[in-house]
Amino acid sequence: MAPLQSMLRKFSLNLKKSLFNQHPKPLMGDWLIILIGAISVFVMFQQFWVTAPATKFKIRQGNQIIGIFDLNQTRELHIKGAVGESTISIQNGQVRFKQSPCSNQYCVHQGWLTRAGQVAICLPNQISLQLMGAKSAYDSLNY
Amino acid sequence: MRLLSLLAICLLFTSCTKPEPIHNTQSYVFGTLVDITIYGEPEAEAQELAAEIIRDFQELHNRLHAWRASEIKSLNYAFKRGNLPVTIEPDVAAMISDATALSIQSKGAFNPAIGQLIHYWGFQNDEFKPIKIDDLSIKKLLSNNPQMVDIVIQNGKASSRNRHVQLDLGGYAKGYALDNALQTLRKHGVRNALINIGGNIIALGKHGENPWRVGIQHPRKPSAIATIELDSGWAIGTSGDYQRYFMLKGKRYCHIINPATGYPTSGIQAVTVLIPPQTNAGTLSDVASKPIFIAKPNQRAKVAQEMGVENFIVIEADDKIFISAEMTKRIKWTDGATAKYVTQIQP
Repeated sequence: MAPLQSMLRKFSLNLKKSLFNQHPKPLMGDWLIILIGAISVFVMFQQFWVTAPATKFKIRQGNQIIGIFDLNQTRELHIKGAVGESTISIQNGQVRFKQSPCSNQYCVHQGWLTRAGQVAICLPNQISLQLMGAKSAYDSLNY
Repeated sequence: MRLLSLLAICLLFTSCTKPEPIHNTQSYVFGTLVDITIYGEPEAEAQELAAEIIRDFQELHNRLHAWRASEIKSLNYAFKRGNLPVTIEPDVAAMISDATALSIQSKGAFNPAIGQLIHYWGFQNDEFKPIKIDDLSIKKLLSNNPQMVDIVIQNGKASSRNRHVQLDLGGYAKGYALDNALQTLRKHGVRNALINIGGNIIALGKHGENPWRVGIQHPRKPSAIATIELDSGWAIGTSGDYQRYFMLKGKRYCHIINPATGYPTSGIQAVTVLIPPQTNAGTLSDVASKPIFIAKPNQRAKVAQEMGVENFIVIEADDKIFISAEMTKRIKWTDGATAKYVTQIQP
């Protein structure tokens, strides 16, 4: 923690010099404004940054978890489902159904998923992809 | 200064917490994905309870199945032949009575008696393929006017005054199952859970310190258009043209059929309704979105009011979004730009 603390101290000293060279000592109100600013940035970040890029995703077939996979790889997975074999493609932080034995191909049309909380489901083949991240914006999806 | 750095450090670490006591089970029932999340219960018990709920769903699904051997299928067969009244289970009788009341409330826009129409359009299938549209049969069925009120239930027996009544509880059963599941969870003393049947969701308690939060799917993108907090006992449901549909000559035909025209509803992408706690909140989250979806654009707010729905969102075919005043207070758009397309509507 020490380097961070000293970094912060240095930063704030510089800030003091540049901001308050008119007055040798910053007033209470100046600090208050900086503090309020910092808190509001933090709160707004929490409030509005609702989806984060995903880092991993989960594949399920039926009620089984097939596995949790890293998104940062280039790879194709072949998963056997209720009606045949689905191909799942992973590429540079994104994932999609590439091929599916179902007739509608809704799952393939979903395209690339990138953000935490995103879901693609192939109902006929009973395979789902769910993106996971440090912070998902929601617990479940209404569709 | 020390205080400030301490504060910064505290803030940095607020997101690090212990693993949560959360159980999640997924399965495929009702031709869709079922997702059960139970919070704050021992893993073994949560797992067992989730499995019991899934079994209940499967049993209900089998009993109500509209195109495979089931109690409803037998009943439809008896209706078609104009047979004498047949004995039905008390819960099926209660469901029919309830669905009839909702059908009347919606002025026939919610009509589970049009199973034959749904069949003509190919939606009584596990997968939907483009069909050859049979205008003659559709017209004929409309002229025979099958309605829920044609069904007579007396002394635990059901008959129909109209041979063209074919029950399809596809727009009712999932919501009904949500209400049942909530009862099961409460009976077992579970305080926090979230149940999702094909997008219809009901909440119990909270997710730890916070309310349950659900994403509302964008009708044309693989992401959430908004999120909303689902407090205990609240339910949410969407009728959309993107989950069950087929394309024919470049035109989209969705599974929500307008009983007045006999044709799939067009000109709209999705209607989401949010239902406050009540004994049939799940059922209403399934049923109440449909009449709004089917209504003419300028009638939607009025129909919502007739269905007792205060919280709703409409996404029209041109991507314009309409939202009720009540819902505005609860919704959080995931993309700030979306707000540009949103208009508040008054009943």
